[in-house]
Amino acid sequence: MGSLTDKYCIVGVGETPHMRPSNRTTLSMACEAVSKAVADAGLRLSDIDGMTSYQIGDSTTSPHVATALGMRLNYAVDILGGGSSGEALVAHAIGLIEAGYCKTMVIFRAMNGRSGRRMGGQTPGGPIPVAVAEGDAQFNMGWGWTTPAQRFGMSAMRYLRDTGCTTRAFAEIAVAHRYHASLNPKAIHRSPITIEDHQRSRWIVKPFRLLDCCQETDVSVAIVVTSRERAFDLRHPPVFIMGGYARTLTDSPQWNYSREEIHYVAGNYGWKRAFGMAGISHKDVDFISCYDAFTFTTLIQLEANGFCGKGEAGEFVKGGRLQIDHELPSNLSGGHLSEGYTHGVQMVIENVRQLRHRADDACPGWAEGRHTYDRKAGCRQLRKADICCGMGWGWENMASCLILRGIAA
Amino acid sequence: MPAPIDYSKLRIVPDFDTAEWWAATKEHKYLVRRCPDCGHKWFPPIFPACARCGSLKTGWFETAGKGVIYSYVVVVQPIVGAFVGTAPYVVAIIELDDCREADGAVTRVAGVMLNDEPEIAIGLPCEVVYEETADPRIVMPRWRVCGAAPNAWRFAE
Repeated sequence: MGSLTDKYCIVGVGETPHMRPSNRTTLSMACEAVSKAVADAGLRLSDIDGMTSYQIGDSTTSPHVATALGMRLNYAVDILGGGSSGEALVAHAIGLIEAGYCKTMVIFRAMNGRSGRRMGGQTPGGPIPVAVAEGDAQFNMGWGWTTPAQRFGMSAMRYLRDTGCTTRAFAEIAVAHRYHASLNPKAIHRSPITIEDHQRSRWIVKPFRLLDCCQETDVSVAIVVTSRERAFDLRHPPVFIMGGYARTLTDSPQWNYSREEIHYVAGNYGWKRAFGMAGISHKDVDFISCYDAFTFTTLIQLEANGFCGKGEAGEFVKGGRLQIDHELPSNLSGGHLSEGYTHGVQMVIENVRQLRHRADDACPGWAEGRHTYDRKAGCRQLRKADICCGMGWGWENMASCLILRGIAA
Repeated sequence: MPAPIDYSKLRIVPDFDTAEWWAATKEHKYLVRRCPDCGHKWFPPIFPACARCGSLKTGWFETAGKGVIYSYVVVVQPIVGAFVGTAPYVVAIIELDDCREADGAVTRVAGVMLNDEPEIAIGLPCEVVYEETADPRIVMPRWRVCGAAPNAWRFAE
């Protein structure tokens, strides 16, 4: 990003509740999330001149949302994609604003991820009655091998074999993210769990148990991006975009199982650029977010993004290192594992709130930035939340990253 | 051995890139793609170009259908209806013995094992077995363990 570092900011965030079922259309939810994000920025809908979204054929589009809300846009595009796409659309927004195509953009994702189209193809009621295996599905659905859990499990199993890591490392991540969810009134699952709870939970697909898997949810999320000059006039202190990488891609073990090592994931090709752009090192990072579709995806992103060496993540996460008030707090809203599943953007939203010092927790004064830091009383605001590294994942082959800072850093 | 797959609930749709592959399995031949220009091999055959040299010509290589288990998962909660009665079943990635290339490249395939989980381990040799399906046009390759290995690794949790 070089000279673009800190030139663009995230100024608004908003979301619907995490629901299952929503009993709403994706258009209805997207209108709510977009409206809330724009209002959070202290802007009017007429101040927004660009809109993008991402989806997998399961959602409404920007033109629908703009029409519903009476917005006249200079740019509207909806891309195909899941995890890692939200962070990538922030990069689009930077480029479009830099080039003069837009001034202020909103990015949304809306999905009935539990009551509508579910990842892996299962129907809301259960297994696929008659499966039609065409295209690449000839070589996975035909083998009863479709869901992300079943697919990522293959990388995870080989990882356990190659590194000597055990699933107690997976449990560390489930426990940390659930603890954070216990401090988040919006989270679907708020009861804290232990490593033993994880180890006792039922198998979904070995090596993954129930508590390795995220929460399918119906939800919409939105964020607003604008330039630094405009950002200073808005409602909240700006959150600056220091660096990142956007949908960095390698060949996919979804299709190409022959690649050298199936658990060498895309983040490995991105993080040096992101940290170089931001001009920081890993020790400058106060907290992180990781795409936790599964516990394992968090584990592998830590080493893919240089927070620890290859094969060392199992040791790295031991002893609650990823928990609030420990060394490297991760997914402070509870993440996909416990808050709900939004294909990644909820992590950006939580990171923005933490960097503003306005985590929406149980503290009566949170909206004014007054926090008690008393975890027993439900405060989830970090005391020091100046720089954050957010990591997005779209299968093993695709990754994004956003390094953000608050006004204090 | 896991219970049979209910192939009446599974419809495989071969396409322009894969029809010859499915035709070969009907004759109990296991093919992988082979680049006529540089000799690189790959799987699955949905990819119509050579990722090593960029050639758009595609050929085939008939393998002996033998390899070693590279990784596996044990599906306990099935999602595809045809496999509901089969669970728990093991899907494995298998590194083929006769597709190693001079530069170290290997070709791996995947499929459903005929063995139950306790018989499966990374590193074990296995071989292809052809299974008739409800669709007379489709014969499904499956895999079974066919030997031992000194350094095999099993998920024991």
